[in-house]
Amino acid sequence: MSDILTQTWRISDDAVANAVGGETVILHLGNGNYYGLDTIGTVLWDGLKAGKLPCEVCDAILAEYDAERSVVESDLAQFLEELEANELVEAA
Amino acid sequence: MVRVSGYDITDYGDMVDCRPRMSAYAEALKRAVAPGCTVIDIGAGFGVFALLACKYGAGKVVAIEPDPSIELVMPMAQANGCADRITVVRGLSTEFTPDEKADVIVSDIRGTMPLFENHIETIVDARERLLKPGGAQLPLRDTIRLALAHAPDAYRLCERPWSVNEYDLDLSLGHEFAVNIPRRTHLGTEALLSDPFDLVTLDYRTITDPGLDATVELVATQDGVAHGLLNWFDAKIAEGFGYSNGPARPELVYGQNLLPFPESVPMKAGDRVLARIRGMLAGGIYIWSWQCKIVDGATGETRHSFNQSTFKGSIRPAARLAPLEPGFVPTISAKLQIDRDCLSMVGDGRSLCEIADQLIERHPDDFTSIDEALGRVRTVLHRYAGSDQ
Repeated sequence: MSDILTQTWRISDDAVANAVGGETVILHLGNGNYYGLDTIGTVLWDGLKAGKLPCEVCDAILAEYDAERSVVESDLAQFLEELEANELVEAA
Repeated sequence: MVRVSGYDITDYGDMVDCRPRMSAYAEALKRAVAPGCTVIDIGAGFGVFALLACKYGAGKVVAIEPDPSIELVMPMAQANGCADRITVVRGLSTEFTPDEKADVIVSDIRGTMPLFENHIETIVDARERLLKPGGAQLPLRDTIRLALAHAPDAYRLCERPWSVNEYDLDLSLGHEFAVNIPRRTHLGTEALLSDPFDLVTLDYRTITDPGLDATVELVATQDGVAHGLLNWFDAKIAEGFGYSNGPARPELVYGQNLLPFPESVPMKAGDRVLARIRGMLAGGIYIWSWQCKIVDGATGETRHSFNQSTFKGSIRPAARLAPLEPGFVPTISAKLQIDRDCLSMVGDGRSLCEIADQLIERHPDDFTSIDEALGRVRTVLHRYAGSDQ
């Protein structure tokens, strides 16, 4: 499992999220950019907000969706890298 | 206090009847206007500042206003014997090119806060393009002030019916949105739990950035339950003439603004609030964010940490926000196609009825009658009514 999934992350102070209807839009207060999250992205975002590890979120997704663990882990790791690159989350 | 839409004549009357505001503007105008000078009134409404400028001796006054209230300026000017000195421009000052730059520019396009819609961009543009070097700008500057507030009445709709209701319903979801929406209010000094803090001074002679990013430390001066951060502004229209909508002053037309906490917070004297206040202008609307830490005065321990934003307070499906992303690739919906067809037929001699007929022919499943199609054409064209004047 990727280290990125066992690390604790915190939501950046620059990120504010609006969540309606199972989807989330994040606004970066520093640069004014908007980022849309789909349902799975929203599950991860909510999990991080609640202080969960990404690997715990992964388990929750696998419990609910019929998917390969390796695929979900890979997707979440990639997604976290994007969130970090866009300064929406930071390692705690 | 003028924006593109949303005010009726009684709102304008309210602004003129707001005596501290109006007397400061009138006195400042009287002092700034020299006989024969040129004045530009931005966000003129029905033109009260333009009329006053004429009364004080201006030789030429341009009243600029996108709202239909501008239609009242010339009849008002005729009633006051100055119609020959006033020119009316229906539109935005940022799209106006003057024959002659102004000696005086007067405006009041604030909202509850001076950082409101396109106020700052409008002022910067006016200062750089419409004002003669050394000309007078009214207002000169505003100072936004902030204090910790006990405001149970203003806070009521943050709690009710979301956290508390008589119907045994779980409406708590609404609370998450409600506590991210600033509340308009007017509080007296007895509601303040800290001394006021000057958050920022907006000097309209030099300002360029419409954004705000400021930090503040407020120390509770007495025990009490805090509901949020109250902000207001002190205005300086010209040196010697100003007003305030602060807690120590009578209520003005602007109101005050409460940035609510997500919960009521019991405070002891000596407790501190460390806050970062940010205002970001996005698409003509300010997104306000307030991040607060409540620190125990005795132990130094952080008791609460809040991260709130008007962005979180908006109930908008993500799909409606998606077009705000720069990388979003728009597609043509059925509704958009109808509007596109409608606009494409304007200007080649067709009447509204002929355009409506064509819409029915092209979109037979979307209209059940000619009246329905006509209604759509009128709605689409109404968006642009008067925009070429």
